[in-house]
Amino acid sequence: MNTAVELGGSSKKRKKFRSVQTQYIGELFVLLAPALLSTLVFGYLPMISNYMAFLDYRLTNGFMGLGSPFVGFKNFDFLAQLWFYRIVGRTFLYSICGIAVSYPSALLLALCFNELRSLRFKKIVQTISYVPHFVSWVTVASIVYMFLTVEYEGLFNNLRQALGFAGRISFMQKADYFLPLLVVSSIWKNLGWSTILYMSAMSSIEEQLYEAAMVDGASRLQRALFITLPGLVPIFCIQLIFSMGNLFNSSFDQVFNLQNDVIQADIMTLNLYTYFYGIVNQRFAHAAAVGLFNGIISVILICSTNAVTRRLSDTGIF
Amino acid sequence: MDIEVKSANSAPKLSGAAIRRSGGERAFDIFNVVGMILLGIVMVYPFYYVLIIAFNSPTDTAAAPLWLFPRKLTLVNFETVLQYPGLSRAFLITTLRCLAAPLYSVSVCFMAAYALSNRQLPWRRFIVFFLLLPTFIGGSMVSTYIVIARLKLINTFWVFVLPGAFAYFTSVVMRASLDNLPAELQESAMLDGANYYRIFFQIMLPLSKSVLAAFFFFAVVSNWLDLNSSLFYITKKNLYTLQYIMHLVLKSNEAASIIDHNSQSMDLLLEDMERMREKPTPLSVRMAITALVTFPILFIYPFFQRYFVKGMLTGAVKA
Repeated sequence: MNTAVELGGSSKKRKKFRSVQTQYIGELFVLLAPALLSTLVFGYLPMISNYMAFLDYRLTNGFMGLGSPFVGFKNFDFLAQLWFYRIVGRTFLYSICGIAVSYPSALLLALCFNELRSLRFKKIVQTISYVPHFVSWVTVASIVYMFLTVEYEGLFNNLRQALGFAGRISFMQKADYFLPLLVVSSIWKNLGWSTILYMSAMSSIEEQLYEAAMVDGASRLQRALFITLPGLVPIFCIQLIFSMGNLFNSSFDQVFNLQNDVIQADIMTLNLYTYFYGIVNQRFAHAAAVGLFNGIISVILICSTNAVTRRLSDTGIF
Repeated sequence: MDIEVKSANSAPKLSGAAIRRSGGERAFDIFNVVGMILLGIVMVYPFYYVLIIAFNSPTDTAAAPLWLFPRKLTLVNFETVLQYPGLSRAFLITTLRCLAAPLYSVSVCFMAAYALSNRQLPWRRFIVFFLLLPTFIGGSMVSTYIVIARLKLINTFWVFVLPGAFAYFTSVVMRASLDNLPAELQESAMLDGANYYRIFFQIMLPLSKSVLAAFFFFAVVSNWLDLNSSLFYITKKNLYTLQYIMHLVLKSNEAASIIDHNSQSMDLLLEDMERMREKPTPLSVRMAITALVTFPILFIYPFFQRYFVKGMLTGAVKA
């Protein structure tokens, strides 16, 4: 009797299980729905709206203004003008300097962290080095202005005078100081945090390699150069690929907060320009054309860098 | 007996401690430690300097440079700042935003991560591609602005919550951590008749606490520090965030107007000569606001550090 009940019970369960399997898949889509919707509305819709670069755009014409008359490449007339290429060149310069200084120094710092002998000291220094990451660029700009001001509170000018140099420089009003300021402030803010990825990669390098090298008589320097460094190369390459994609995007937050009215014309970068003319002055089509140009160049750069690193070291994103 | 113990203790250890360091290595170690200490000082000193100026008497600050210690401790700068009416409203908005937006964004990413970690999901590869593409080919600043304007999100609270909700890399790391969980968990739950919702809420969610805590913390930090959404999309005063107020204080004459606003009410209340002499300068007010806006995050950061280090280690390596 027990068996009969069991058999009956299990066949009922089996039937229920099969219909349950197909029925429940809809639940996964319910869970996916917010992400899909959000990507559709805030990812694909702006992508499509880039088309507005080809229109004589008015916000009220048609769906999101996309019914405005088509004018071809009229909005792209900036491509023929010198000031645009000055801005592009400046953006490129800022990005290259930033990458050239900050990426190797992050790698170097990660290697130096690895060589620290006391674990407690290492943890303390790491914690301290992460602190500037948790601060906004508004705060950094506030600190920078305070340090560099000509008035009595300016630490740098006080140091200069204490060290014997004459006169006080108004750092923030000369465009020549802007690039060094960008590089130094970006290192200060991002150095500690950017070592995290390298530390996690280092922890996945096998211990046996180090032990084998020690047995073979490798010095610490050799161990670092020939074991640790190659283990960090894939991550370095991937970061490089992404930064190539952002080569013509300066960091908007950083440049926007550090600039002021006096030097604004001399330090204008591409996305700053897009902000001032697109959003503040609401010249949408023009700014959208600039943004589209920027985006296309980024995609080309990402794909080509990816191809190059794939050929050189077999790592890449796709 | 003694001899035996001695020889056991002096057996060479396999760690590097038994190997003698060369002179060059020892020099490097000293150099390394000194360098690290300098690094720590450089990272921390600016914040300390902000605190010194914020707690120092404003007339004293303008008179002579400060180096390591405040000379005349006073709370006048903070009093001035705290009486500014927009600040408490901005604090409220920012706190609400740093609770609502991370909750929404972490839930959206985690739900998507769970759904995508199921191999039975139909069209899984297409969905992954669909979600991945906008990360690389994004809309530009202006087209996003247009979309948000047409959705009537400008000058509403939801412009803080909705646009940045789904980030593909967040869901990738979460998916990696979900893949680490044994598959038998889900299979046995389904055999017991649980539907996907129950598995999600009663199994996956409790087991992923550290990853969720890490990303929640990241989301709180990025919302607290975010200036761009206020800059692009907000013009109404009652939706200003703390960072935006700090930006106004830094860029325009907002600092002076804070002082004027305060001195009007203070003039009426007291005629204390001591008070009059300590009229705040724009710099002191700026530093006080910087201290107020920055230090909350710096205080909660050490508590969350163990979560996010662990979360990023496991997730990032897999991803």
